[in-house]
Amino acid sequence: MNKFTVLLIEDEKSISDFTSKTLSSHGYRVRCASTGKEALSLASSLCPDILLLDLGLPDMDGMEIIHQLRTWSSCPIIVVSARTQENDKVRALDAGADDYLTKPFGISELMARIRTSLRHSNQLNNGYNIPHHPYRAKDLEIDFFKRSITINGQPVHLTPIEYKIVAFLAQNSGKVMTYSAVMNNVWGPYSESDNKILRVNMANIRRKLEKNPAEPVYIFTEVGVGYRMADDEESQCF
Amino acid sequence: MQKHTIRQILHDLLITAGLLLLTTSLTFILFFQVSNNPANIALFYIFGILTTARNTNGFLYGILASGLGVLLINCFFTYPYFSINFSLPDYPFTFLCMLTLSILTSITTSYIKRQTELLASREKQLLEAEKEKLRANLLRAVSHDLRTPLTGILGASASLEEEWEHYESQERQELIHNIHDDASWLLNMVENLLSITHIQTDGSRLNTSLEVVDEVVAESVIRLKKRLPEADIQITLPSEILMIPMDAMLIEQVLINLLENALLHSCSDKPVQLIVEPHTHNIYFHVIDYGVGLNEEFVKHIFDGTYSESSSSDVRKNNGIGLSICHSIITAHNGTIVARNHEHGAEFLFILPKEETNE
Repeated sequence: MNKFTVLLIEDEKSISDFTSKTLSSHGYRVRCASTGKEALSLASSLCPDILLLDLGLPDMDGMEIIHQLRTWSSCPIIVVSARTQENDKVRALDAGADDYLTKPFGISELMARIRTSLRHSNQLNNGYNIPHHPYRAKDLEIDFFKRSITINGQPVHLTPIEYKIVAFLAQNSGKVMTYSAVMNNVWGPYSESDNKILRVNMANIRRKLEKNPAEPVYIFTEVGVGYRMADDEESQCF
Repeated sequence: MQKHTIRQILHDLLITAGLLLLTTSLTFILFFQVSNNPANIALFYIFGILTTARNTNGFLYGILASGLGVLLINCFFTYPYFSINFSLPDYPFTFLCMLTLSILTSITTSYIKRQTELLASREKQLLEAEKEKLRANLLRAVSHDLRTPLTGILGASASLEEEWEHYESQERQELIHNIHDDASWLLNMVENLLSITHIQTDGSRLNTSLEVVDEVVAESVIRLKKRLPEADIQITLPSEILMIPMDAMLIEQVLINLLENALLHSCSDKPVQLIVEPHTHNIYFHVIDYGVGLNEEFVKHIFDGTYSESSSSDVRKNNGIGLSICHSIITAHNGTIVARNHEHGAEFLFILPKEETNE
């Protein structure tokens, strides 16, 4: 199997060391860049399959790198940020980053994020929007053609808006979707900037889908950012 | 600055004129309509001058008011009425007395006023010092707490590096596990400290937005379970969807601290209960454990940041900092937090207002 190339952009040596070691031991080819300039030149010469980008670089704002990359590349970008940079996450995602990881992150979390992002970028390259197979995670199944949702085979009744939200999240399962991304998709580009309506809908959805809304297993909240739906189990191995 | 002084002077002059006018008209009505008794007139004016001195800056306005007052009395209330006349033999003496008295009272009130101001500013300084002391205490406690796990990490990693061959593989595993444990404890502490920086000193800078209670509870439980996967927590949420203003990151920290506290220190295997109860104006969050309960002696000081179970020397049990952070967070949200014992263990309760209270 051809190895995926990961471009790791991180100025902290200890973090870049352990991340690159882990990635190569999991079968990825890793290149590291410690400054923004180096990252941009490597990105254009290597054409990596995925980018891991630390937002706090010494010479350049991470946002600037995302903007420049997005002018010519659609390669998935996973942003790595510290917990204090709440707003940066949303800005990075809205600027075109695919997902984010909060420092400190575990190895399993990192690998899952990379797999998800690679899978979605593959789907994009294959050129279809609606997945051919239903979404499946634990007891939940969503059939995008019949527009039906079942848990343990029992149908769940959602309002059309609620279904739209769940379907959008399921089609992007495993990835974080910002509030504004969901709002735009469900209510259209001229929707209100206030996300209260989305969050009330989400609370209702949780009451219908989750056994215990306080311990969700299907749709997770990323506080201040958006929602992330549990990864589709069928497409785990791409 | 200059504009400010001019406005101040204008303000004071207006007060002086207004109060004198009021006094004069009141006295006028009393003297000419009710009774022709001159005894009250001086008293009325002294009262007016006192009030003027109290409400203006410096004693200049008080003196001005007393001078004017003397003129007004002479003009309106002494024979001949409606003309200024100092010629009667005993009048100058009366007026001199009145003037001295007015000036004296005006100076006294000004002095009292300045004393009050001084006292207030001194109190403010004291409060500031108290805050500074709290912060220093916290820093000291934190530094002390951070040193222990750091020592552990440094020691374990150094011995792994230097004596790798001397260890059995199981021993190595153990050392690495310890490093991991210590590091995650440190991480938790750092998150707590970070949350303090969210609360600015003036308290009003809290970054609140409407949050769904379910989501905040769920997030904190998930974050806690990342660290304590076997945590047994029973959660009861109301059926209605509640949205209340809060800084979600901070309230999560409170929930995590309280739940962790209950799980680790109750010395019991029974599950910890988290109950969210909506009331008319507030929402109650109960964290209830069924364990040994709190030491009654310490309950009063439990949120002070100095509390630690004296029976234990293990620094990890020292959750004083965590609880004092909870207290500051809830206070910054205009809520209240209490700790108490129930029949079979301990209960922590914090109450958050449903709506933003505007001060």
